[in-house]
Amino acid sequence: MVQLNNGITLFFSLLVEAIPFLLLGVLFSSLLLLFVDEQRLLTLIPKNVVLAALMGGLIGFLFPVCECGNIPVARRLLLKGAPTALAIGFLLAAPTVNPIVFWATWIAFRDQPEIVFLRVGFTLVIAVLVALIFSVQTDSRPLLQDHLSRLMPAPVQPGEKPPGSGFQTADLLRSGTFLVQSPGQVVSLDAALVQTWASSSRSLRMRLGLMLDNMVLEVRELGAVLIVGSAIAALVQVIVPREVVLSLGQGPITSILAMMTLAWVVSICSTVDAFFALSFASMFTSGSLLAFLVFGPMVDLKNISLLLTVFKSRTIIYLFALVAQLTFLLTLAMNLYGN
Amino acid sequence: MVINSYPFPGRASAWPWQSLLDALMLLLWAAVLLRFSLTGQLYLLIHPDYAGLVYLALVILLGLGLGRLNQLRRSWRGGQPRPRSQDHNPLLPRQLTTSLLLAVAVFGLIYSPRPFNSQTAFQRGITDVLGQTRSRPQRFSVSTNPADRTIVDWVHTLHVYPEPDAYTNQPVKVTGFVTIMPGWPEHQFMISRFVLTCCAADAYPVGLAVDLPAGTAAPKADSWLQVTGQMTTVILDGKRQVAIGSARLTAIPEPRTPYAY
Repeated sequence: MVQLNNGITLFFSLLVEAIPFLLLGVLFSSLLLLFVDEQRLLTLIPKNVVLAALMGGLIGFLFPVCECGNIPVARRLLLKGAPTALAIGFLLAAPTVNPIVFWATWIAFRDQPEIVFLRVGFTLVIAVLVALIFSVQTDSRPLLQDHLSRLMPAPVQPGEKPPGSGFQTADLLRSGTFLVQSPGQVVSLDAALVQTWASSSRSLRMRLGLMLDNMVLEVRELGAVLIVGSAIAALVQVIVPREVVLSLGQGPITSILAMMTLAWVVSICSTVDAFFALSFASMFTSGSLLAFLVFGPMVDLKNISLLLTVFKSRTIIYLFALVAQLTFLLTLAMNLYGN
Repeated sequence: MVINSYPFPGRASAWPWQSLLDALMLLLWAAVLLRFSLTGQLYLLIHPDYAGLVYLALVILLGLGLGRLNQLRRSWRGGQPRPRSQDHNPLLPRQLTTSLLLAVAVFGLIYSPRPFNSQTAFQRGITDVLGQTRSRPQRFSVSTNPADRTIVDWVHTLHVYPEPDAYTNQPVKVTGFVTIMPGWPEHQFMISRFVLTCCAADAYPVGLAVDLPAGTAAPKADSWLQVTGQMTTVILDGKRQVAIGSARLTAIPEPRTPYAY
């Protein structure tokens, strides 16, 4: 009974600490979705492929979207002719390298600031490396699902003005949301990607309405995942004997593998995953906590269905394998040489 | 997700159950946070520094819920048709996510969180506290008067300079809850506190051994006490350790904020 009470208290503690960050993340991503003209981004892409990858990784700092929001954005980037390096860099880094996630991680781990900074550092290193590997393939079409690659323009060199930059739309960060204004005119999702509409014609009230819709939708989906994640964290604390968790969590290799598996399964949103990791902080090695924080936002179960809307399954397997290996190596180095 | 203005006027009057449930769910969650804040149970869950964030979340939830209701009201009055959203490629079925959020919100309105107790302290490894805390306590001031030190201050001081004899006969006055340690003699127990840096998830226990004078009844586990006495050195678990000797116990009510920070 005491155990149950502790578990439930822990569960609510995680929820109450995480909900503000979830809401802030949702608020920001919805604001940007509708009020920011991000089209200019594509005109600023550097020529150098490393810089393009790095820029992709850092765009998240301007546009805080968590991992559910960033896949549709990466898809639109690719469709608009952005270089593969930029899109992959964005895909992998944006959920972690952004102010809200940084703040949440700081609050959870202010006792161990190295975790906060290494989380950002490792994420950028992995994102840029993987982006560079993928950018060897200059034409990104073979990586993508057939129905998308058919819609793709020919590859654009970085720095060149991308096609479609004349659009006055704010659809780049729109989390897969599409608007049909006139009744009866239904536009399919992928057709909408290459279709234009004037965002300026949308009234403020309409924008606010759409923003509210998007926020409620994201709160519902991410909130439910947060509840499941918090329940798992609480259950592990309460049910699994301390000795078992400790023996798993103290090994430099087993702890990393365990936390990476957990990251993959739990699929908790990146704005709040720091609190989840925190509940394991006293029992797991710092490297394994980092592995959770770096790997989780890049790769998890709920991402797969979203990623499959963009990439061919073989691309996703390569992507996952590369990210997993790099995360493992970097965090193992931290476990072995960090202290 | 596809959002489109509802194109079929004839069907637009269908009662928008999902929007209603959304509004209910958001307002219930605002109510849960309000309840935790008003009852002070919030401090059992998170560090007081972050209470402001919870109030902010409360306001956002309230705004979203009321916004949703307002949309409903306007569409019900037959104004501009409300854009209707459909999930594109939802992560989980909408019914599942909504019912999960609603159910946990209702539970949160009923359930009262309990502060962690000695069993949790033991589970989280209070045995290795003396001089071995996981992290540095945030609030540490070298108080010149030993009687002003809290349990956290003592544990930190011991961490810096662990020799038990250095503290002999220093006066001690601390408050905490009782943890009965397995394998310890009957006249010895641990007076303990949980330290919070963020939320209950990272609460870790710290404690000081207490050595009762002969003939004193051992206190009940988890009862809250003020312990006064003088530091002395005892042998516990085969190690020389500092303990509060000739201890006098005063029962106190459980504090509103039972954790140390």
